[in-house]
Amino acid sequence: MANIVKIQDGYSFLPRPEATLLEALEAENIAMEYQCRQGYCGSCQIKLIAGDVEYHKQPLAFVQEDHILPCCCHASSDVTVQLPQPLECIQKKVSA
Amino acid sequence: MAYTTFNQNNFDATKEPMFFGQNVNVARYDVQKYSIFEQLIEKQLSFFWRPEEVDLSNDRSDFNKLPEHEQHIFLSNLKYQTLLDSIQGRSPNIALLPIVSLPELETWIETWTFSETIHSRSYTHIIRNVMTEPSKVFDDIINNEAIITRATAITCYYDALIEGIQLYNAHGEGEHTINNEKVSVSLRELKKRLYLTMVSVNVLEAIRFYVSFACSFAFAERATMEGNAKIIKLIARDEALHLTGTQHILQLMASGRDDPEMAEIAAELKEEARQIFIDAAEQEKEWAAYLFRDGSMIGLNKDILGSYVEYITTQRMLAIGFESPFTTKQNPLPWMNSWLNSDNVQVAPQEVEVSSYLVGQVDSDVDTDDFNDFSL
Repeated sequence: MANIVKIQDGYSFLPRPEATLLEALEAENIAMEYQCRQGYCGSCQIKLIAGDVEYHKQPLAFVQEDHILPCCCHASSDVTVQLPQPLECIQKKVSA
Repeated sequence: MAYTTFNQNNFDATKEPMFFGQNVNVARYDVQKYSIFEQLIEKQLSFFWRPEEVDLSNDRSDFNKLPEHEQHIFLSNLKYQTLLDSIQGRSPNIALLPIVSLPELETWIETWTFSETIHSRSYTHIIRNVMTEPSKVFDDIINNEAIITRATAITCYYDALIEGIQLYNAHGEGEHTINNEKVSVSLRELKKRLYLTMVSVNVLEAIRFYVSFACSFAFAERATMEGNAKIIKLIARDEALHLTGTQHILQLMASGRDDPEMAEIAAELKEEARQIFIDAAEQEKEWAAYLFRDGSMIGLNKDILGSYVEYITTQRMLAIGFESPFTTKQNPLPWMNSWLNSDNVQVAPQEVEVSSYLVGQVDSDVDTDDFNDFSL
């Protein structure tokens, strides 16, 4: 069962259960920063405000306190995350 | 405090700090103080590649078709990267090996430096392929003012550290008179130099390389110089890992968990360290101006590249807990991420080694029952 992902000062959504957190955010048309997508570069790190995530494999990158690497984890409870920039700056507009 | 290549003291290496403890003796990895360095070594080894695996036969004709100002951009970047890797292919070894105290960190430094020598070799491979006279390019590096000013900014920290360590090894701490000059050697001063050197290496790997990377990928976005872009992707993958290594070292220093004095020094030098980032960003923006002095290239100009430099500088500063003076919030070159993503690194198909498949994939647990379906 998938857990709810809440974007701080944004909205909540229900990701596809098989997606990593990074893929889930990208599926929301958010231009996330990334590079290796394997947990060794640290480019994608974001702040975890509430909830827990589970790593598929312990990442190599240096991760700051309270931060997570969305490229190699998924939410293991409902989570609240803070994006590095305001949502309106990094969400791509999708025309209906 | 003379250096010894095999320390005959019997001591527990896991109780030593990263640097300036006892010299390493047994290169053993069964017990580790910081297993992260062992994991970085494994990852770096799984990344192993050779420049010759990448086919550059189309790049020569592509290069000849480029207008002159774009050839200038392409060659200048290669020259600059050659300089950076000339430095990185030796300096971590020379500066850090005499003072390192953990076997896993010692091997990480060697593995890291070795991979930089592959990068240097790949520049020769590229230039041999695109130029009739490669020596013209290499000979210019040492005469090129724009490059040499950068070299000074990078090497001054390494050189100060190396000089300090040599004096420390030869004479130990204290006041000495050498060639009628008074010199004072103190361990705390050496640790300061070490900290600033690590910051400047972090800046080199995290910011300085990226201006060249951006240009290489901008060419490839237009489907030109694609072999070169493949090599740069492989280099960028290695650099991302080196950056992680340096960030871990800096963080271990700043936390005081490894050596409490190092944490004091990190706090004391925070402003100076921050300034290294800011100065590097300014120098890289100047470099962008030099690259585009005769004209821009499609999709990239001095201003866009300048704001990209500010953007990644902010990212890198935040990553190690520094505040950035720059306000660029959005990535001005969004296509960079997909080029930097190493998942789609492709060399000659038969040579591709998917790094995650390399370790322990042989199933040796085969039971005789597994052969029941076979008959002869």
